[in-house]
Amino acid sequence: MSEQSTNSSAPAGGLLKWLDDRYPLISTWNEHVAQYYAPKNFNFWYFFGSLALLVLVNQFVTGIWLTMSYKPSAAEAFNSIEYIMRDVEWGWLIRYMHTTGASAFFIVVYLHMTRALLYGSYKQPRELVWLIGMLIFVVLMAEAFMGYMLPWGQMSYWGAQVIISLFSAIPLVGPDLALWIRGDYIISDATLNRFFALHVIALPLVLVILVFMHIVALHKVGSNNPDGIEIKKYKDVQGLPLDGIAFHPYYTVKDSFGAVFFMILFALVVFYLPEGGGYFIEAPNFEPADPLKTPDHIAPVWYFTPFYAILRAVPDKFFGVVAMGASIAVLFAMPWLDRCKVKSIRYRGYSYKLLLTMFLISFVVLGVLGALPSTPTYTKLAQIFTILYFAFFIILPFTSVNERTKPVPERTT
Amino acid sequence: MLTKLLNSFSKRLIWLITGTVLPMSFAFAAGPNLQLESANNNVRDVESLQRGAVHFANYCMACHSTKYMRYIRIARDLGWQDEEVIDKMTYGLALPVDDVITRIQEGVSQQVFGTEAPDLSLMARLKGTDYVYSFIRGYFEEEEGKWNNHVLAGTSMPNVLEGVKRHSTTEEYDQTTRDIANFLEYVAEPYKVKRWDLGWKVILFLLLLLILTYLLKKEYWRDIKH
Repeated sequence: MSEQSTNSSAPAGGLLKWLDDRYPLISTWNEHVAQYYAPKNFNFWYFFGSLALLVLVNQFVTGIWLTMSYKPSAAEAFNSIEYIMRDVEWGWLIRYMHTTGASAFFIVVYLHMTRALLYGSYKQPRELVWLIGMLIFVVLMAEAFMGYMLPWGQMSYWGAQVIISLFSAIPLVGPDLALWIRGDYIISDATLNRFFALHVIALPLVLVILVFMHIVALHKVGSNNPDGIEIKKYKDVQGLPLDGIAFHPYYTVKDSFGAVFFMILFALVVFYLPEGGGYFIEAPNFEPADPLKTPDHIAPVWYFTPFYAILRAVPDKFFGVVAMGASIAVLFAMPWLDRCKVKSIRYRGYSYKLLLTMFLISFVVLGVLGALPSTPTYTKLAQIFTILYFAFFIILPFTSVNERTKPVPERTT
Repeated sequence: MLTKLLNSFSKRLIWLITGTVLPMSFAFAAGPNLQLESANNNVRDVESLQRGAVHFANYCMACHSTKYMRYIRIARDLGWQDEEVIDKMTYGLALPVDDVITRIQEGVSQQVFGTEAPDLSLMARLKGTDYVYSFIRGYFEEEEGKWNNHVLAGTSMPNVLEGVKRHSTTEEYDQTTRDIANFLEYVAEPYKVKRWDLGWKVILFLLLLLILTYLLKKEYWRDIKH
């Protein structure tokens, strides 16, 4: 492509110049898009960052339209959802896009995080990118949890009941803390109203700020790549990385392709499988919340089930909560638990390949177990896989110091 | 081919998890389930829905409502005039804009059957259409004059279709129960057929866009040397 379009420092004049004299329009565009140099060897795994952004936008747009007809009150919430599904023009489509978007968000984010584990994207100098990303993940879980309560169906109600009661397991302050969160002695109208406030403004605001910081931090240090090498090491005479290409147009066009591919899968679910086989919208949620009637089997939505399985695997409620919290918290420490200098799985030793495989299988199996009713066999299995889940983080610091790695290439392959 | 699909760690990982771990977990998890009859209904079959609506009004609405539905909506979707739906479903006792509400007076159900009859707007989504079909057909006579149900033991609902079963052939009875289940599936999600009919058009458009974005990407990336 021609050089002229990307390197202009002086705008042509007119409105653009007027704006650029008053706002760093062109320099910001250049720094983060047109002259942000990304490694040229991104593969399939590198679609999920931009896809997460796409899903975020989808959730914002559909969410805004849902709030136009949704009523955050225990008496009216369930009715208003059915009103959206039946009487609001295109309401069914907007709602399915929002419910599917919630699950899609976690699919995309889990794959995005897997990518980081495969290619060592959390390692020096990108520790902060990883930490901010983990914060996004935690806020996203809170956002999803509160959003799931809003339809005020049976699973909304009892799922929230189970999760909020976890806080009461904390010694001394627990019961008061749970009371403070609910704003009532049971989950009620007061709880629904505050969850609505947090879901539609407080947490989305935090999410946007964190996503902004995630990208700023990434652009400061530059993107990692499947080879796990720093492209800034070899530059041409102009000081541009030899293995880097401008994000725009190269990755904007590539990500557009990825986005459309994703939208096809998304549309398949929205139009032909909106309930996601009972995992995206759980059947009991077609019945209004009833505080006097507990559903036979309370399962959290699928994206929480791995952590829920860990919770149930521990016999003691308090230590179960601790284990569940630890299973998320320990991920924050990844940049320091993994002490291997080589970043990418391509050049790492067998120990890491084995450990990572074990970890990812444990995560998936725990996810399946967490969705099932607990039986003695399942509990035993959940205990085994909980141990394997944590074993990853416990063994890694020891094996990664002296890992038998392969030679890392100087340039991207 | 196989080696190409398995030539990197991440590809092998994806195959291992989607091909082995997930199916095994779910196979292991599959437990014994309540045996339900398949309703074999078709929500595109407007005639079946029309019959189902009338059966619903005759046999179910004495106690049950579908409060999230209005008569006018049923008329529009099932190809009836406003007067027709009122005539067929309410004997002229409601307005087209009214919600489909039971004719029983409040509290009577509680007195006679010991419980309020649930609203059926979403029953087919809550329990599934096959469940509805199997349930209304699931009655058996425990002893003289005492009925129970295979699908929901000890149900308070009387066997309202007993007369239909006795006075019709097996085919007619199958059709009647299928029509009712079909109508309830429609009521649970009135936009379902529209959703199906719109979906493939959206996907077709996206497929065209996919080709264009692929070509655009290829064109731009021609000058990138690996």
